[in-house]
Amino acid sequence: MFSTALLVSRWLFIALLIVPVGAGIVAVLLPALSYFPAIGEHHFSLAAFSRLMQVDSIVHMAMLSLFTGLMATFIATVGTLSILAISYHTAMLGWVQRLLSPVLVIPHAAAAIALGFILSPAGWPARLVSPELSGWIAPPVVSLLHDELGLSVTIALAIKALPFMLLMALSVLAQPHLADRLQKQVCVARTMGYTPATAFLSVVWPVLYPLIRLPVLAVLAFATANVEIPLILGPGSPPTLAVAVLQWFNNVDIFMRLQASAAACLHIGVTGLAIIIWLLIEKGAAALFHRRRCTGARNFASWWLSVIAYFTLGTLILLMLCMLISLVTWSFATYWPFPDTFPLGITLIHWQTSLTALSQPALNALLIALPVSVIAVGLSLLVLEQEQISHRATVSPGLKKEAVLFLPLLVPGVAFLFGLTWFSQFIGAGVWLPVLVSHFVYVLPYVFLSLAVAYRRFDIRYTYVGYGLGASPYDVFWKVKLPQLFAPIMVALALGIAISFSQYLPTLLPGAGTIATVTTESVAVSAGGSRRLSAVYTLVQMIMPLIGFALAWWLPLRFFNPAAWSD
Amino acid sequence: MIKRINTLILLISWAVTAHAQTINFHAWGGSPQVNRYLQWVNTQTEAEFGITVNHVKLADTSDAVSRVLAEKAAGNHDRGSVDLIWINGENFAAMKRHGLLHQNWVSSLTNFALTNPDKNRNMTMDFGIPTDGQEAPWGKAAMVFYYNARYLDVPPKNAAELLSFSQQHPGRFAYPLPTDYLGISFLKYLALTLPDIPHERLYAPVDAHSLRRVTMPLFEYLDALHPTLWHEGKFFARQASRLQRLFDDNALFVSFSFTAAEIPAAVSRFDLPTSTRTYAMADGSLSNVHFIGIPYNSGHKDAARKVVNFLLSPRAQARKKQRQVWGDDTVLDVSLLSDAQSRLFAGEQAHPAALPVNGHNQLLAEPHASWTDALREAWFTRYGDHL
Amino acid sequence: MIKKNTLTLHSLSVSKDSRTLISVDTEVKPGSITTIMGPSGIGKSLLLAAIAGVLPATFTQNGSVCYDGAELTALPAHKRRLGILFQDPLLFEHMNVAQNIMFGMPQNELSKQQRADTLLADVGLQGYGQRAVQALSGGQQARVALLRTLASAPRAVLLDEPFSKLDMQTRHQTRCWVFDNIRQQGLPCIMVTHDEDDALDAQGPVITITQPEQDTDKLC
Repeated sequence: MFSTALLVSRWLFIALLIVPVGAGIVAVLLPALSYFPAIGEHHFSLAAFSRLMQVDSIVHMAMLSLFTGLMATFIATVGTLSILAISYHTAMLGWVQRLLSPVLVIPHAAAAIALGFILSPAGWPARLVSPELSGWIAPPVVSLLHDELGLSVTIALAIKALPFMLLMALSVLAQPHLADRLQKQVCVARTMGYTPATAFLSVVWPVLYPLIRLPVLAVLAFATANVEIPLILGPGSPPTLAVAVLQWFNNVDIFMRLQASAAACLHIGVTGLAIIIWLLIEKGAAALFHRRRCTGARNFASWWLSVIAYFTLGTLILLMLCMLISLVTWSFATYWPFPDTFPLGITLIHWQTSLTALSQPALNALLIALPVSVIAVGLSLLVLEQEQISHRATVSPGLKKEAVLFLPLLVPGVAFLFGLTWFSQFIGAGVWLPVLVSHFVYVLPYVFLSLAVAYRRFDIRYTYVGYGLGASPYDVFWKVKLPQLFAPIMVALALGIAISFSQYLPTLLPGAGTIATVTTESVAVSAGGSRRLSAVYTLVQMIMPLIGFALAWWLPLRFFNPAAWSD
Repeated sequence: MIKRINTLILLISWAVTAHAQTINFHAWGGSPQVNRYLQWVNTQTEAEFGITVNHVKLADTSDAVSRVLAEKAAGNHDRGSVDLIWINGENFAAMKRHGLLHQNWVSSLTNFALTNPDKNRNMTMDFGIPTDGQEAPWGKAAMVFYYNARYLDVPPKNAAELLSFSQQHPGRFAYPLPTDYLGISFLKYLALTLPDIPHERLYAPVDAHSLRRVTMPLFEYLDALHPTLWHEGKFFARQASRLQRLFDDNALFVSFSFTAAEIPAAVSRFDLPTSTRTYAMADGSLSNVHFIGIPYNSGHKDAARKVVNFLLSPRAQARKKQRQVWGDDTVLDVSLLSDAQSRLFAGEQAHPAALPVNGHNQLLAEPHASWTDALREAWFTRYGDHL
Repeated sequence: MIKKNTLTLHSLSVSKDSRTLISVDTEVKPGSITTIMGPSGIGKSLLLAAIAGVLPATFTQNGSVCYDGAELTALPAHKRRLGILFQDPLLFEHMNVAQNIMFGMPQNELSKQQRADTLLADVGLQGYGQRAVQALSGGQQARVALLRTLASAPRAVLLDEPFSKLDMQTRHQTRCWVFDNIRQQGLPCIMVTHDEDDALDAQGPVITITQPEQDTDKLC
């Protein structure tokens, strides 16, 4: 019975990742090829694509998506590399990790809104230098916001991508067999006279990078196709391709949806192209590295790595600090005329207004996040148990399953979510089920990856001891493994909830806008009239996942912990 | 199977909210006052009729129109997701044209008679198109401008002054994309007030000749205005509410709105500076009535009708008119009300940022609905890729 | 004739890719401790895994494991009732000391708590039942681990280098204590080790494995 459940879970796991994405792609491909019987289009044609190609700025839009995505990934990768290079096996790594972990759970929309706050001509940095230094008595008319090159979009994407990559890299480096070997190899290189940074670059990075390539590509795919960040910070004439898809899809003219579908398909191509370009850059960089490495220069790139690392860290910390202070100040501000550094007074009115308005969206967010995360954690546990029982993990790292995990992260959301929305409207599936499924597709990979680290590190001999004591596999799973893995399970649950909270497009599209969550409301209000309300919404958006993580940290202290009782 | 799971989820969400009947009211959600007013409406209808009004906050009303259209295309004729929709102008025209609205229900509302529709033609005409009982009037609004007295002593009082103001203070004025309601309204205001335009043509359905006659002077004006706008006219705010925030940032010195009461309310909420002053243009203010429709495929038409009748009740209309609530003008003919009812509409104290009483010099009726699309398309053709 | 409480390995072998890594044919009598000696990496632990029924799927096993003439090989690990002890005590950290011992007791056993307390008292750990296992010293943990195994009423005990992590002083002491208990209970026991002293103290038959097939053989 238990073993059947395990086997079923494995297939369910793969199916739940592949089917929604696959169905979504098919359902967006058909209207893109002008096949859509519901509005009387029964014949396949390339009409929608040719209309798309007639849009003047289509190339510009695609280039914008490509450029912002590649740049952000590049910045994040170089940042990750340099920060690791200077902090590998130093005390600094610990605090970098602690510092960046919270950034990981800040929703993209919140990061973008917060960045918008400080890039705004009336933002804090501009106020700090006004009027004395700048001479501005009104905010400057030029700003980085909505710049035509998408630089602000790039910055926001990089801010979110960097912590993700860094933590991915750290979790790889923490794998026991690897950690030990690499540490010793770095030691060998150091004794040969290589500087720590150069030793990292030439010994660790070549081993590490292939192991984080999939996450890096996922970051790239996500960055090219993200909607909420360019929607909040990006240029308008033209916008990025993903934003254009969204706007066409919502156009009054239903036939524009065919064009939107074609553009969504085009976006798969754009993201694919970005990945190809990235792989080429990778090849080039590897060749370059190799040549330099062979010269035997003991401090090759050492200086540059530390400059970049400190610059990246410094900028990141400064930005985060500035964003946080800005948000908090605005959320309590009364009147705040321009050059003033601080508001004229403080008030609770914005918090009061928002908290009543946000209660339903917060409840909705929980109604989505809880079942999705619980199911994702449950399913991941069953799959990992199946893997462990059948000894797959000990033999091969289960590469195929890992690749499937990245499927929803590699296919642009604007493409398959539109298809999924078409599809669910067609079969009359309502709004809740499609939203839950879409969230699930995004939550599952992160939950699984986070659990897998702990699960695979679990000492299998506990299982053998359990068997020896006559406990069945089911008993061992429930009474031995799960309680011992309670802490990582809670963390995975909190991560799942945080990921679900932060979803914008997967809530908006399949929910047809009828299910408001804190994130969708926050994005809506970010374009609204009140900067103060927007600040509160954004802060709430940041606080909600942190509560989850605080619980995940506290609950294991309380439960399955005999030490807490006997003291 | 999917349907069964879905029903289950619906049941659960129903159990969570524990309400008898839920009406999805699709309405623009950009104004906190409107949102709060609709929350109040919900408490009232829940108490009186056991009907929950779920305000689906739209960034753009056309989202809901395209949703009903999509449902019709997909053959969903009796369980649509939109029960009520707040519309007027070209959105109404589009819905009427596609047969997306429930018909002949307005005259059966007991409170509709209080609008005195026989005398007030604009209760049954929406941008020059007869409503034919497909939508009920809800409120009235007129365009107002506001300026920051900290930076300006005298605001621009007509279209020509607006241009010279913007040339003197580059980057301090903006208008939203014409896909936004306020954006297209600004174009209409110019079309109705700029000299050299045969204004009467705007009240007849558009044709190529009239369009050219109207747009030539209009674009001449805009060509001069755009380089002086916020972001040099290269980035347009997508939503009107953005203007208010830019004004609060002191980035804009002059802005405008279609909800006059929103401005003093925003000042009270600290969302606009205390030096904000509201005024009406000397050459006229665009004005219109806004309506509520019931999509043809709503599954809750009876409940929706009850809600609309409540929205037209003196109590609901009087509350809506209060400036600290919303400040939207009533569509009721107060002379038809009882003394007790009309007392609900008694005056309020003045607010420094509010439009003075009788502040409008001249109200300009909306052009024929066909002009909305025509002007918008012409604008996009000329000013390009802004989508 | 079938002997009572005897564990028999009928030419039990473990192989990978049709290459035999280790093969043993022996009979372990009740209260006797059979030692399997050999250098590390030769597959001794794999043999124990095969006996316990947890051999990884990439290895194949031949031959059979019998207890009192009944074949155990077809049973899943948890039905074989072969208690296993590793070099780490592997106490469950989410349970206290008594709960650890009670976890393995047969389901129908009455007053488990009382019995756990008695067992603890017998080994000089009176009143330790409610403590967290992390609070125990290494030697104490080793004792609790054995108590847990014995309390589960196993058919036999398997020891996988059980003392290699203890320091010199406690090693001899713990070893004698473990062996005494196993003998007292009359349990057949198989121990794999590379420590000659272990074998000496066990006072039972010793099977030495010498197969220097180390060249390509990398076991993790």
